[in-house]
Amino acid sequence: MAEVRYENASRIYPGSEIPAVNELNLDIDDGELLVLVGPSGSGKSTALRMLAGLEFVDQGSVYIGENDVTLSPPQDRDIAMVFQNYALYPSMTVAANMGFALKQQKVPKAERMERVREAARILDLEEYLDRKPKNLSGGQRQRVAMGRAIVRKPQVFLMDEPLSNLDAKLRVQTRTELADLQARLGVTTVYVTHDQVEAMTMGHRVAVLKDGVLQQADRPRTLYSKPVNRFVAGFIGSPAMNLIDTDVTSEGVAIGTLGLTLDPSVSSALTAQDDREVTVGVRPEHLKLSTAGLPGEVTVVEELGSESFVHVTVEHRGEPLVLVVRDAGETTTTRGDIVHVDVAGPTHVFENGGARLGE
Amino acid sequence: MAATASRSEAVKKLQRREAWRRRIPLLPALLFTIVVTQVPFLFSLWYSLTEWKIVPPEPRQFVGVDNYVDLFDSRFFREAVWTSILMTVFAVLLSVILGTLIALLLDRKFFGQGFVRTLLITPFLIMPVVAGLVWKNQMYSATFGVFNWVIEGLGFDRIEFVSRWPLWSIVIVLVWQWTPFMMLIILAGLQGQSASVLEAARVDGASPRATFFQITLPHLRPYLELGVLLGSIYLIQVFDHVAVITGGGPGSTNVPYFVFQRSIGGGWQFGLASAYSIVVVVASIIIATFGLRVLSGLLEGEDPA
Ligand SMILES: Nc1ncnc2c1ncn2[C@@H]1O[C@H](COP(=O)(O)OP(=O)(O)OP(=O)(O)O)[C@@H](O)[C@H]1O
Ligand SMILES: [Mg+2]
Repeated sequence: MAEVRYENASRIYPGSEIPAVNELNLDIDDGELLVLVGPSGSGKSTALRMLAGLEFVDQGSVYIGENDVTLSPPQDRDIAMVFQNYALYPSMTVAANMGFALKQQKVPKAERMERVREAARILDLEEYLDRKPKNLSGGQRQRVAMGRAIVRKPQVFLMDEPLSNLDAKLRVQTRTELADLQARLGVTTVYVTHDQVEAMTMGHRVAVLKDGVLQQADRPRTLYSKPVNRFVAGFIGSPAMNLIDTDVTSEGVAIGTLGLTLDPSVSSALTAQDDREVTVGVRPEHLKLSTAGLPGEVTVVEELGSESFVHVTVEHRGEPLVLVVRDAGETTTTRGDIVHVDVAGPTHVFENGGARLGE
Repeated sequence: MAATASRSEAVKKLQRREAWRRRIPLLPALLFTIVVTQVPFLFSLWYSLTEWKIVPPEPRQFVGVDNYVDLFDSRFFREAVWTSILMTVFAVLLSVILGTLIALLLDRKFFGQGFVRTLLITPFLIMPVVAGLVWKNQMYSATFGVFNWVIEGLGFDRIEFVSRWPLWSIVIVLVWQWTPFMMLIILAGLQGQSASVLEAARVDGASPRATFFQITLPHLRPYLELGVLLGSIYLIQVFDHVAVITGGGPGSTNVPYFVFQRSIGGGWQFGLASAYSIVVVVASIIIATFGLRVLSGLLEGEDPA
């Protein structure tokens, strides 16, 4: 078990000008489950593969525990990896797949079998030990890939979208099992996903990447309540935060006719910057339908059972603007209704360049 | 009870009809195949049961299995069979091994990869007769051959390769021609291997050697089998190389050349020659079937865990 540290680590693919991972600095604690999340092409896989030793680190360094592993080959890093397509060895049985790494370490056969059986028991794979991967279902293959990793008792688990080939229901179930397994084993884990719900539910901390640059690495709640910039604010949370570009007046800011007073920390940051245009962010659950407030017309109602999301088209700066508002599950609002939207919770303000203003 | 019985009856009927619906469109092709491939075979089979010489051409006599009895009594035929086996086995094995090695070298990115690959394939595209002539005159020849030019340059005596090692002279040319074919098949196999499986092996700490023997080789199995099968079927029938390089010199007369010698090559014993060819066909089928079984068995032997 070990901490993991990226220090100014960059990867520039040959033939490309821009780094796929750009000066990444990240500390991962012993036993922590850190989730790397970001849109497609943001460099999540590249960052993970740099840690695995499958991708060359062009600048900076990578540490596992006390060791600088920047130049070590994968086999010297004591890591186990779960691939998106599982990458099981097709010609070997499940047992041989799980025991393969131990066999390479010349672990005696009896002990090897013992550890394979142990892992198979944890993952409920005992009855499949003699099967070939091609005769397993997707979920079972996923578990074999997990088994192959846990048999080794490595310093670090690396997982690249291990659940993305499962159907929605199994994915939700497996993600809980996986988080639970990781907590029990206490192995430091770096987990890549593009699914922000997966990131928020599983990660002890979540690191958001965009274009190879780390935006923010924080506990899920902090990420949600204090996004450091406009990108993180829009990326984390589903449905996404309402982001409205607006002008700053002497009274504060306004969405349409709805005036908002700014937090003193925001106003002081604003005067310091002399910024006249900002982006105001409000999460759907911090807006409400009420009798007073900004009038608008309902265009879509998404009913999810426990809650509904009402899309309201309002007028802002003389143009139509859609706000998403959370409402009760048994809402009576329907398309075409004229409603009023009011703010009922914290708002976020981002300066022109995207950075968060104030607390 | 009666209802289920009639139901299963109905299902069977449906299945039968479905089977025929699929077969009928294939029938013309099947008939054509039978006419083209099986009829000549039946003729050979008939000839093999007759005594048929060019002089006197008639009457042809039905002699039953006499030809076959003669054939297995014939020391020359047994020798030809043995030569065929040696020639095929050595040529196939060597070309598969060499082809695999070259494919492994080519299966990594380097500048001019496509060009090198095309160059390497050319021997396979050369006509067998031409290949035989080129090797006999340009490579092996004691007077004009490249080998002897090198040997002499190094200060040794000239060697008459073809008369000294007739069988090997042929096998080397066959290997030269068939290695590219094997290489192509194996290369296709290597490139069909999932990159992440190889990465998983690296992360699991497998040495390149272990990766090759435990992961790549089992993956290549069907490709190797295909190469061996196609190679054997073709090489067991090799004629041109023998005719051109040694002309059936000692120890290099394989069965096809032997059949030729006994029939239009001067023996004029068509009945007997037909019997030889029938034996070869049957033997090839047996070899192909059993050979593959054995090979599969060898490669399948995976130790669990
Ligand atoms: N082998 C490669 N050669 C060149 N560029 C590459 C290579 N692999 C990835 N890239 C580029 O590096 C960037 C980051 O890719 P990466 O695979 O890390 O993204 P990702 O965040 O994992 O995306 P996804 O969610 O789609 O898997 C992309 O712009 C991609 O085009
Ligand atoms: Mg990826």
